[in-house]
Amino acid sequence: MKSPDLSCGRCESPLEVEDLRCPVCRRSAPIVAPLDNPEPSVEILRCDGCGAAVSYDVRARAPKCAFCGSQTRVEAPEDPIEQTELFLPFTVNRTAAEGAYQRWLGGLGWFRPGDLLAATTLESVKPLWWVGWVFDSDATVSWAADSNAGAGQADWAPHAGQTEIQYRNTVVSASRGLRDDETDHLVSSYDIQSARGEPEGGGEEAVIERFDVQRSAARRQVMAMIERVAEHRLKNGKIPGSRFRNLHVSVILRRLVRRRYAFPSYVLAYRYKTELHRIVLSGQDETRILGSAPYSTARILLAVVGGVLALAALLTAVLTLIG
Amino acid sequence: MGLSIEQHEIACRACGAKIIFEPMHRSVRCPYCDSPSVIDRPATSDRPDPVFIVGFSVDRHEATRRMRQFVARKKLAPPGLRGRAAERVSGVYLPTYLYSAVASSTYSAKIGEDYYVTEVSRDSKGRTSVKRRRKTEYYQLRGPHHSYVGDVVVTASKGIPNNEIEAIEPFDLGALRRFSSPLVSGWISEEPSLTREECLQLARRESESKIRNILRLFMPGDSVHGLEGHTALGKESFDLVLLPVWVFAIRYREDRPPIRLLVNGQTGKTWGEIPVSWGKVAIVAGVILGLLAVPVILGLIAGLFR
Repeated sequence: MKSPDLSCGRCESPLEVEDLRCPVCRRSAPIVAPLDNPEPSVEILRCDGCGAAVSYDVRARAPKCAFCGSQTRVEAPEDPIEQTELFLPFTVNRTAAEGAYQRWLGGLGWFRPGDLLAATTLESVKPLWWVGWVFDSDATVSWAADSNAGAGQADWAPHAGQTEIQYRNTVVSASRGLRDDETDHLVSSYDIQSARGEPEGGGEEAVIERFDVQRSAARRQVMAMIERVAEHRLKNGKIPGSRFRNLHVSVILRRLVRRRYAFPSYVLAYRYKTELHRIVLSGQDETRILGSAPYSTARILLAVVGGVLALAALLTAVLTLIG
Repeated sequence: MGLSIEQHEIACRACGAKIIFEPMHRSVRCPYCDSPSVIDRPATSDRPDPVFIVGFSVDRHEATRRMRQFVARKKLAPPGLRGRAAERVSGVYLPTYLYSAVASSTYSAKIGEDYYVTEVSRDSKGRTSVKRRRKTEYYQLRGPHHSYVGDVVVTASKGIPNNEIEAIEPFDLGALRRFSSPLVSGWISEEPSLTREECLQLARRESESKIRNILRLFMPGDSVHGLEGHTALGKESFDLVLLPVWVFAIRYREDRPPIRLLVNGQTGKTWGEIPVSWGKVAIVAGVILGLLAVPVILGLIAGLFR
């Protein structure tokens, strides 16, 4: 549960109501001040069941009555399973998805079997919302690395610096059904601004994938992505040089806002002879497809033999000219 | 017998008996009816209310087993120590402070970058040899480093110094709960006996030490020399946390004070300074010397019969 008023006093990241500490900078979350009570007082804890005094029980990890075994509920650390907050709507319908699949299959090139279109059967088309986190944050990134810039006799010279990086609508997949390369391929096809509170489109058979990670694991995945993105951006323009090694980054995050999204897609399964293949298509852009398809061994061999023959002919011609 | 200045007397709410509680304890058990009570004192700057608590997960039986295992592994421990029952066993909620901050550092270091040269040499007989030699180029590197420092735990108890807490760390701070009196009910819960300022200095020193290690790992290059850093800690947070610790007191000789052993009440990690039995050390040294002397003696005997 997110409270609009609850944010970390140090890094300004929004906090969930259940957070005891800020997950970004580990500052303790604000608490309601206790009532002023100038005199020492004694609290005796009574069992709701039998009225006996209760003590904290190690096995139950809660106060427990030694006489009747009743347990007193105490605030437990919360680490709930993540739930989807926003859905991107399907803007590609099933017919358009099947048409895109046909065009994709037909345009795979000469190295595929000649009968690919004719011998293929579309087995299933499943509309699926896969899930992921979208986050925004500002970061101060300190870095140190070796690069080829400024190197003398050695291949490397050390460099260090600090840069500000803004993360806007950065997506981290939480999908168990789709591979990372598939979600990476689809991500830029989505219009994040089109998100809404309820699923829209996809038909009745559309499946909504569930987050099956707890909040603490989700945060670790987002943090790992933040470091990966920082390293990528540093290597692409921030660190002088073109080759790098020993890159170390230290990230100070501020205002980390993380939302849980469901992204529309179609998962198509087709069979070529006996082989089953899968392709994934964006539910918002029918040109964004990634999948596997068979190769024609005969055509590849033919190309290799042709290439070798052409090379041999070229070599013979050159030798004849020289001779 | 009168009360000392800091001792307080309360009436047990269960049986009405008068109980004296120590100023350094937050919870108490009635000696007559065994009812646990938790004392709610007004917070002061040096004795603030706990913010968090980590509950006990290791019970007395398991803690005793861990302690015995620990002592059994100490082969040079005095003979009377093994198997000796603890004179006193207490499950204590130890007051500690949890510190976090923003660490802003600047550093400078000499970074070595290795490269290899091939050297061809010819000896006096005209034979050539090729050797690959490693050489190093040095660069002066200066830079900034900013990071959050978190999860720094320091003791707030004069009874258990910081190095002893470090010895049974880590505690899984993912299991923190917000403090509430029922969680310490029936257990000894100590109040801080070190001042907030003393603990803050301790936490800052520990954080600076952490940052020095982080900076060492942050450096590029093949070698690093003369790393110097200056760190400023800002936006600090400092919260009182109660951590679960089993404390065992074992007396193995009447003329010696008891030995203290600590068991992490969450993970079972055990620590204690076990004395060495000089008798056992002498026996081990004798055996080693004896084994070393065997070949010499055999040699001498062989010489006599030659």
